[in-house]
Amino acid sequence: MDASPHPRPRHHPRLGALLAAIVLAVTAAGCGTTESIRITPQPGATGSALPPSTATPEPSPSPAFPVTLVDDEGTEVDIPAEPERIVSLTPATTEILFALGVGDRIVGRVEDITLFPPEAGPIPEVAGFGTVNIEAIVGLEPDLVIAGGNFFTPPDGIERLRSVGLTVLVVYAADVETVFADIELTGRAVGRGDEALALADAIRAEFDAVAAATADLAAPRVFYELDATGAIYGPADESFLAEMIALAGGDPITTGSPDAFEIPLERLIEADPEVILLGDAAYGVTAEAVAARAGWNVMTAVRDGAIRPTEDVIITRPGPRLGEGLRSLALAIHPDLDLPAEGGG
Amino acid sequence: MTAASAGFGASRARTRRSLLREGARRHPRALFGTAVVALAVLAVLAVGFGTVSIAPETTVAIVLHRLLGLDTGATWSAASETIVWDLRIPRVLTAAMVGAALAVAGATFQGLLRNPLADPYVLGTASGAALGAAVALLIPVRIVVVEFGLVHAFAFVGALLAITVVYRLSRLSAWSGMTSLLLTGYAVGSLLAAGLAMAMYLSGATLRQIFAFLLGGFEAATWPRLAIALPLVVVGTAVILWRARVLNGLMLGEEAAAHLGVDVRRERAILLAAGSLVTAAAVAVSGLIGFVGLVVPHVVRLVVGPSARAVLPLSIVVGACLLVLADLGARLLGDIPVGVVSALVGAPFFLFLLRRAQSGYEL
Repeated sequence: MDASPHPRPRHHPRLGALLAAIVLAVTAAGCGTTESIRITPQPGATGSALPPSTATPEPSPSPAFPVTLVDDEGTEVDIPAEPERIVSLTPATTEILFALGVGDRIVGRVEDITLFPPEAGPIPEVAGFGTVNIEAIVGLEPDLVIAGGNFFTPPDGIERLRSVGLTVLVVYAADVETVFADIELTGRAVGRGDEALALADAIRAEFDAVAAATADLAAPRVFYELDATGAIYGPADESFLAEMIALAGGDPITTGSPDAFEIPLERLIEADPEVILLGDAAYGVTAEAVAARAGWNVMTAVRDGAIRPTEDVIITRPGPRLGEGLRSLALAIHPDLDLPAEGGG
Repeated sequence: MTAASAGFGASRARTRRSLLREGARRHPRALFGTAVVALAVLAVLAVGFGTVSIAPETTVAIVLHRLLGLDTGATWSAASETIVWDLRIPRVLTAAMVGAALAVAGATFQGLLRNPLADPYVLGTASGAALGAAVALLIPVRIVVVEFGLVHAFAFVGALLAITVVYRLSRLSAWSGMTSLLLTGYAVGSLLAAGLAMAMYLSGATLRQIFAFLLGGFEAATWPRLAIALPLVVVGTAVILWRARVLNGLMLGEEAAAHLGVDVRRERAILLAAGSLVTAAAVAVSGLIGFVGLVVPHVVRLVVGPSARAVLPLSIVVGACLLVLADLGARLLGDIPVGVVSALVGAPFFLFLLRRAQSGYEL
């Protein structure tokens, strides 16, 4: 019936391919020219996360409102007046706002299974991990929404919130320097610029104390286990966590990919960790359980019994407790480390 | 209750039901009218309810104000107006449009392929759209293509490319049209699904976005997106409705249709194109919402019989009803995936109708 060769010549398959090529070409051109600017704060820049060209005229670290800030996605965000009703869509932002003394202005927040501080408990949840309830947020009538970048808050949701006229600041700390910048950015956005600078300086001082204490120590090969219930997950090459381990005086064993967190057991055995840290200790993983895993007994850390639990949240959450986190990480890597109890702050 | 009385009750109910069905078959217009009224009621309810409670009179006042410029003297907050006008109404209308589109496309593909398991996604459209969306998400920057968004644009293009490839490849086969089309669709779909799996493996932080697209939903509904998708759906649906007679002919088999004077190859291509256009537009705005396209046409056929001239228009309205209802349920239950709700509501209803069906049921 339909099996005969086609009676007339057809050009459409080529047309389809051409169409695909055009779409890809247009897309590629778009990538190259329009929106590929990623604002990364310069290490050491203390006062501002802003590039010079878009900086606000006020030289003061906490300018009066209105203020225009550039968020971590490079979007210019106008904040007309000091925000009184804030929605916090990342757990770290919730912590930062409380640390800056404006926790009582948070009217809605993201779900957080390791909530901190406890005072945040009664604030209604308007978002989950990777989800956001637009209607609930609009209903709260916030004058500032601080959302998570890198897909933590769905990009479509961010776009949607902006399209209905809400002010949305997007934060995403891919590295430790950006954590300081984000604290300062958040502080400027809520009219607590000076407090934010002080907070960032206090955390920096703790970082400096850890750096000084670990400077002369040999850095052991450290594997930080995020999860091993199925595949084994550890830090990616360019991850925040790998940077933290290095800053804590360890030599991080990474997955070999800039952004994938899965590591094959073979690679881990070959890397031969001298210390294994259990970021999943909160989920009941113990040193004994690790030692009992098939194939793991060849690792130096297992033979030496250098398998230690960590408090994962403070180490991986880019918030005000990061100095404390680095300190605990350094102590987990170097149990005999001589660290002053109050870290420089 | 004794077995005898239960049997008596059931048989009486059955008689009444069969009378009802006869009525439905004789008066499809009355049934259509009833379904339209049901859709209107559901739409009003869906605009009235949500996470934030807004008084019904406020909702009405806002709608009157925005639609007709009427001032009822009521006052409301800017947030309420945004919620009703910019969030809920586009969402409800999008749900209705997608439900209608998937149902009419499902009815078309089932008739065209003469296969009761056919749905709008059977010929690779779903895999193509999903892969398109995943590829768009893997591109590291976000580019807004006329408010539609790169993800939606790529999903649309991916769906249409997939069906085009399937159609072209199927015509190279030595088998008869429909079998070849179905099998080619399956093969190409599997290939695209492998590509999707790879994209998901590579996706890192965007995995959740891809997953959300696969589940489908109406969170992303906006006026501009609705305005772009609606004309595509309307045109495709009009083409299909206009060819309902042809579809009836094709359901008899290709040879019989040819004897009836149907240009089988041409008509099949037109119906495939229209069904795919409608599906692609729906998928682009809402992601992959299953179940509606498969089951709604069957439900409608069980009630009004197999003629496409009755099945198509009623499927449109019933499909719209189902998704508006499912989306309302999904929102009230805390934004769970709409596909879960539509299946939870629809599947038992479908099973109930199947059990009650007395006459043999032929596609």
